[in-house]
Amino acid sequence: MEKSGENEMVTPGDVLGRATDLKPGKGAYVASHNNTIYASLTGFRRIQLPPPDSPDQRPIVEVTGHKAHGPVPEPGSVVIARVTKVMARTASADIMCVGPKSVREKFTGIIRQQDVRATEIDKVDMHLSFHPGDIVRAVVLSLGDARAYYLSTAKNELGVVSAESSAGATMVPISWTEMQCPLTGQIEQRKVAKVVS
Amino acid sequence: MSKTEYVSPEGLRLDGRRPMEMRQLRAEIGTVAKANGSAVFEMGNTKVIAAVYGPREVQNRSQLINDHALVRCEYSMANFSTGDRMRKPKGDRRSTEISLVIRQTMEACILTHLMPRSQIDIFVQVLQADGGTRSACINAATLALADAGIPMRDIVTSCSAGYLNSTPLLDLNYIEDSAGGPDVTVGILPKLDKVTLLQMDAKLPVDIFENVMGLAVEGCKAIANYIREVLLENTKQLEFRRGL
Repeated sequence: MEKSGENEMVTPGDVLGRATDLKPGKGAYVASHNNTIYASLTGFRRIQLPPPDSPDQRPIVEVTGHKAHGPVPEPGSVVIARVTKVMARTASADIMCVGPKSVREKFTGIIRQQDVRATEIDKVDMHLSFHPGDIVRAVVLSLGDARAYYLSTAKNELGVVSAESSAGATMVPISWTEMQCPLTGQIEQRKVAKVVS
Repeated sequence: MSKTEYVSPEGLRLDGRRPMEMRQLRAEIGTVAKANGSAVFEMGNTKVIAAVYGPREVQNRSQLINDHALVRCEYSMANFSTGDRMRKPKGDRRSTEISLVIRQTMEACILTHLMPRSQIDIFVQVLQADGGTRSACINAATLALADAGIPMRDIVTSCSAGYLNSTPLLDLNYIEDSAGGPDVTVGILPKLDKVTLLQMDAKLPVDIFENVMGLAVEGCKAIANYIREVLLENTKQLEFRRGL
């Protein structure tokens, strides 16, 4: 994607162009009654060329403001979360990162028993999959209920990426269900993620 | 109407302005460090501070709205803002009404559907009251929202106009406001040419009303130009600092 450096400053309500030859991106909206694109933020007007494979070949016009909002998890995004509570059927976790970006505010997620792994989903024991304090990589399934996002670790590359043993050392994964403490040699059960470097 | 002369034979008002003249405007962005967006707006001796928090998680779950953002507004007047220092109870009728008016006006311009299940808090406080606090609050709130980077259809600006001594007067101050004549407060989306707020607490013949309202709309547009200038200047400043 290329950016053309047309640095024109705009304020909310300024006309950015016609909807027939441009597509509104971030910080822009289209008024349906006159097919005109207006700015909704203060910042610089930038025009981005669409990806070559997209069916819509209109250039995207967007307004980049000075204040960047923190990322918000949405269905399908990969998140890094810290497990806070493990119950019989669910585990709750605080989302810390969405993709490569850390979140600004608190988002909570829930991993349900049926979303822990892809096979034998009815035989999952939550207490043998996660412990409080574990760092897990998960994918957001849905916006969930009013309290938390629904997360899933039902893929090889998803699950616990970092965990502390009861002795307090960071454990080493030894299989997709086990991690070992380097100090005591004790083996603990987890739903381990296959980390591809 | 009282016998007081609000417009002298020379065509000057009590504070020396012409009937169609506005008070001096001053605006400052980013005055509250902890808020996501904030601004101070002055119209002559009226001074208002606004702070915007959000979009953030809804605090009271029963107020959560599934398909758009919840906008809340709290208006208050500092005890020292008026001539006679008074301890006013929080949440009296007047401030509840103004809170509601500001909330509705701002809600009309914020693209709330982009931020479902979240809330935006707007706090405005009058630091000095000299008439037209309602308009000043709306202008300050607009600036604060723009500073917070909350997507808006257009900036909303507001201005008041009155009719005293058979003359339409723009931007009434406290003395003119308390004369008991009609006071028309208008809020508009200047680029979209839409009215989002129109208040009048007196009776006025339609033709005169149209005149007075037209005057207020002109005032709104002048304020909009000023606000845009301030916003652009602020963005330029930030960009400059970032470049260093």
